Amino acid sequence: MGDYNKPLPNVNGDSKEFWIGCKAHELRFQKCKACGHVRWPASIFCPLCFGRETEWIISEGKGRVYSFAVYHIAYHPGFESELPYVVAIVELEEGPHILTNIIGCQPDEVTCEMRVEVIWEDIIEEFSLPKFRPCG
Amino acid sequence: MRRMLLERNADDAVFGHFGAVAGYALAARRAMHTFRTGPETWKHIAVGQRKWANLNPTATMYDRPMNFEDYYSARWIIEPFRLFDACLMTDGGRAIIITSAERARDLRHPPVLIMGMGQHNPSEDVQQATHLAGPTGAKRAGEMALRMAGITLDDIDACEIYDCFTYTVEITLQDYGFFGPGEGEDWFKDGTIEPGGKMPVNTSGGQLSEGYFMGLTPLSEGAMQLMGRCGKRQLGPVTHTKSPEIILCSDNGGILQTHSCIILRRS
Repeated sequence: MGDYNKPLPNVNGDSKEFWIGCKAHELRFQKCKACGHVRWPASIFCPLCFGRETEWIISEGKGRVYSFAVYHIAYHPGFESELPYVVAIVELEEGPHILTNIIGCQPDEVTCEMRVEVIWEDIIEEFSLPKFRPCG
Repeated sequence: MRRMLLERNADDAVFGHFGAVAGYALAARRAMHTFRTGPETWKHIAVGQRKWANLNPTATMYDRPMNFEDYYSARWIIEPFRLFDACLMTDGGRAIIITSAERARDLRHPPVLIMGMGQHNPSEDVQQATHLAGPTGAKRAGEMALRMAGITLDDIDACEIYDCFTYTVEITLQDYGFFGPGEGEDWFKDGTIEPGGKMPVNTSGGQLSEGYFMGLTPLSEGAMQLMGRCGKRQLGPVTHTKSPEIILCSDNGGILQTHSCIILRRS
C-alpha cells in the first residue's frame, strides 16, 4: 500500500503502546490502578483522580456509537475518494470513548447507540487503524 | 491551513476528522439523539438571524435575504450541518472600551453597565465529553451571571448569543433556561428571535450572518443596542420590539468546553 495518502498517527511517548497494540490488532487502553477509570487517549496520569499508576487492558472491541458526523467535503485530499464518510465517537463496553470511522454500511444507516465492533485496517507496514462496523 | 489542522487535531486527522465544524456536528448529532432537535429547529435560527442582518448595512449578508427553502437547499458541510448552520469567516475587528462608571459618565456616548458575569468550563475534549447535548457550561455560567445581576430570565429584553453554529444558539438558550430540552423548535418557530419578536436574538445578524469576531460579535452588539446606536436594527419602536434595558450576552470556546455569560444594562 505504497500509495496511502492520508495523514498518519503522530506517535508519542503516551500513545506508543496504543499504536503498537493496533499493529497486533489489539485495542489497548490504560486503566487507572487507583480508581479503575479506563481512558483514551493515553496520558501520563488519570484525568479523573490524577493517579499515575496504570495497567494496560485489551478491549473486546465492542461498543456503541455515541455520536457521529458525515463528511461531504474532503478537508484533506486523501479522503476525496471516501466521500461521504462517517467519523464517530464510539463508546466501548470497557468505558472509553474513541474517535474512529464507521465502515461497512451506508452513512445514512448509522445511528447513535448502534452496536458496533472493531475491524482492523492495515494501512501501511507500521500502522493498523481501528475502525468500526455494525454488529448484531 | 491544512498543516494547522493536522497539528491541532493530532490523531483525529488519521480518521479524516478536522476542525470545529466537525466537533460541533458531533455535539449536534448527540443532541438530536437526546432530545427533539435538528434542522427543523435550526432553520429558525439561521433564517431569523438573517432577517436582522438584512437590517444591518455592515453585515456580510445585508443584501442577501434567506428563507427556509434556501436553508434546506444549501449543501452539507458536515452533516447534520448545512452551509447556513455555520458561521462566516471574516477579516476585521471589534473593540470594546471598559472603564469605571465614573469615568464613563463624561464620554460622548452613553455607557453601558455590566450587571453580572459568570463562567463555567466543562473542558473535556469532544471525544470524551458527555455534556455535548447539555447541560453545557452555559447552565452554571448563566446562573452565576443572573445571581450577580440580581435578576431572573424574565428581566432579559434581548440576547446576543455566541453562534459559531445554529445548534450553539439552541443549546445555550436551552441551558440558560429559556425553554426545556426539545422545546426549542416550538420556542423559535413564531419569529421569537426575529425583528418584532418577543425575545430578539443576535440582532446584528450574529456570526452566522453579520461577521465572525469571536465573542466580540455578540458583546459589541449588546453594548451598541443599549447605547441606541443600531440604526435600522435598533431594538425598540424601529423594529417593533421592547426598548431594551437589559441584554444577556454569551461566549464559548473549544467544542462547548468554555462558556462565559455577561449581562449588560443601559445606564
